[in-house]
Amino acid sequence: MIKVPVFVRLLLSLAVLATLTACNSGATAAPPSNPTTAPGTAAPAGTSAGGTTAPGGTTAPGLRHIRLPMGFTPSVQFAPFYVAIEKGYFASEGLAIDFDYSYETDGVQLVGAGTLPFAIVSGEQVLLARAQSLPVVYVMDWFQKFPVAVIANASAGIKTPADLRGKRIGTPELAGANFIGMRALLAKAGVASAEVTVSAIGFNQASALQSGQVDAAVVYANNEPIRLTAQGVALSVINVSDYVSLAANGILTNEDTVAKNPDLIRAFLRAFAHGLSDSIANPAEAYTISKKYVTNLTDDAVEQKVLAATIDMWKAPHLGLSDPAAWETMQQTLLDTKLLSQAQDLSKTYTNEFVP
Amino acid sequence: MAAVPNQSNYESPLPGRPAWRWLVLPLSVIAGVALWEAVVRLNHFPAFILPLPGLVWQRFVTLLASGDLAWHASITLGEVLGGLGLGLLVATTLGYLIAKSPGLDRALTPYLVASQAVPIVAIAPLLVIWFGSGLRSKVLICALIVFFPILINTVVGLRSVEPDLHELMRSLRATRWQMFAKLDVPAALPVWLAGLKVGATLAVIGAVVGELVGADRGLGFLINFGRGQYDMALVFVAVTALVAIALALYGLVSLLERWLLRWKN
Repeated sequence: MIKVPVFVRLLLSLAVLATLTACNSGATAAPPSNPTTAPGTAAPAGTSAGGTTAPGGTTAPGLRHIRLPMGFTPSVQFAPFYVAIEKGYFASEGLAIDFDYSYETDGVQLVGAGTLPFAIVSGEQVLLARAQSLPVVYVMDWFQKFPVAVIANASAGIKTPADLRGKRIGTPELAGANFIGMRALLAKAGVASAEVTVSAIGFNQASALQSGQVDAAVVYANNEPIRLTAQGVALSVINVSDYVSLAANGILTNEDTVAKNPDLIRAFLRAFAHGLSDSIANPAEAYTISKKYVTNLTDDAVEQKVLAATIDMWKAPHLGLSDPAAWETMQQTLLDTKLLSQAQDLSKTYTNEFVP
Repeated sequence: MAAVPNQSNYESPLPGRPAWRWLVLPLSVIAGVALWEAVVRLNHFPAFILPLPGLVWQRFVTLLASGDLAWHASITLGEVLGGLGLGLLVATTLGYLIAKSPGLDRALTPYLVASQAVPIVAIAPLLVIWFGSGLRSKVLICALIVFFPILINTVVGLRSVEPDLHELMRSLRATRWQMFAKLDVPAALPVWLAGLKVGATLAVIGAVVGELVGADRGLGFLINFGRGQYDMALVFVAVTALVAIALALYGLVSLLERWLLRWKN
């Protein structure tokens, strides 16, 4: 008979109890609101509810705080949000936004788990998530043009997708928006995957291109090309959106919110759409407001060019509508690259019913 | 004679018949898996938060059958062994030189210690930029991560030799090689092997960090890929494979230790 000392038995039971209790409470408790915004969120003139997201978390009572995963570090590209907050559009809908600049996949999982109501995502993330039974729904298309481009040194003579035949292409990873955009581009141009060499180079596209590790690199069209050109590098740029239409960045929510709280979605999208249209109409004002939230902007000229290039991708006759053809192409590209093994029900993947 | 627990290192903490000893590990693994299953079911976790053990097992079997798991694991193992070998060589050589030369010690040690304060995850992207996203950068990251523990253990091990023994060897007109092979090496070996144990498990971390930054193959790549696909089961399979590699390396070094230090018993 093994004699287990009393204190060992006690410790073991306490450990098991603690684990089970922690698991249960951890699953139901929402993560604490994590305000990671820049300072300088002044109350806009003329509104009573000036609640926004100062680091102290002091806001007007009655505003519902929404933690929003952005999928990238603070950037002028998020101008519509900064403008909407600064002008009180979110506040007048009873909402306060707390920015969370964490990685894209974490945001999707939190929305899928029901912990957060919204996240910013790229189209392919929605299909990949739904394939793993995450109950997420894309409710507004923000970027009408897929923001990915393939760049090369101007001297390399790579001006069209067909020129990529036989070349070495570098992409940050073998998945994600960059990879998908590149694959869709090649497919449209009739270049088979066996005719190019693709390697994962991390987010070091510029240095990989300069050092000759790769002939072409996949980047975001409104970022690297502008910054590299400003540094005097001569580039040739092939925009994916010039050749193929893919479902791009937009607002994500979950089926639970769609069913139980559609008014929240409408409120959120109204405020966002207002900020978006204001940014498109007045880029200079949008830039000035963004500087309060993106604190380390050193080169105004370059950053304004980045904003202008980004605004160009947002423009549409009716802001926010998803294009069915873009979703079809996105799904087909994912299936062809074997990143998706089964076609998803697109009618459940995205919806235009909440677009203001 | 009263039954007094044996004082040797490998005795089970529970007194009793020896047969019980062999059941502790398998039983604890089963208990762990059962707890995992219970936690998932009690909390109704969906697969993308915490998959059931059964799902992870399924993924494991599929990957094993297709040969993918073995292929990715061999890539990572190659990086680990390469990095371990490189780090071992440089660290042991440098450690020997530092232990024997106080001047070199004073000159180099501050920089070596400072270099350890830099987190490897911050350096890894730089190394991938400078050395490309192929095998080289991963081996280098591994080597960097194992360098310090082995260096310190080499120095400490060599310094643990009493100066009197050196005097004795010199008085017996031993050559430098004889002093090295008959005195320094056996004296430093236990401590050095302890450093190797630490290094072997750290090397696995180094390989994964390198792959997470930029790679298109290996277990770290599988982890990233799984994350991108919301396939948590795949992430678990890759992590388990990494644990297995680390444990295997640790076990091999332990065996090496027992063989090399058999003269102690």
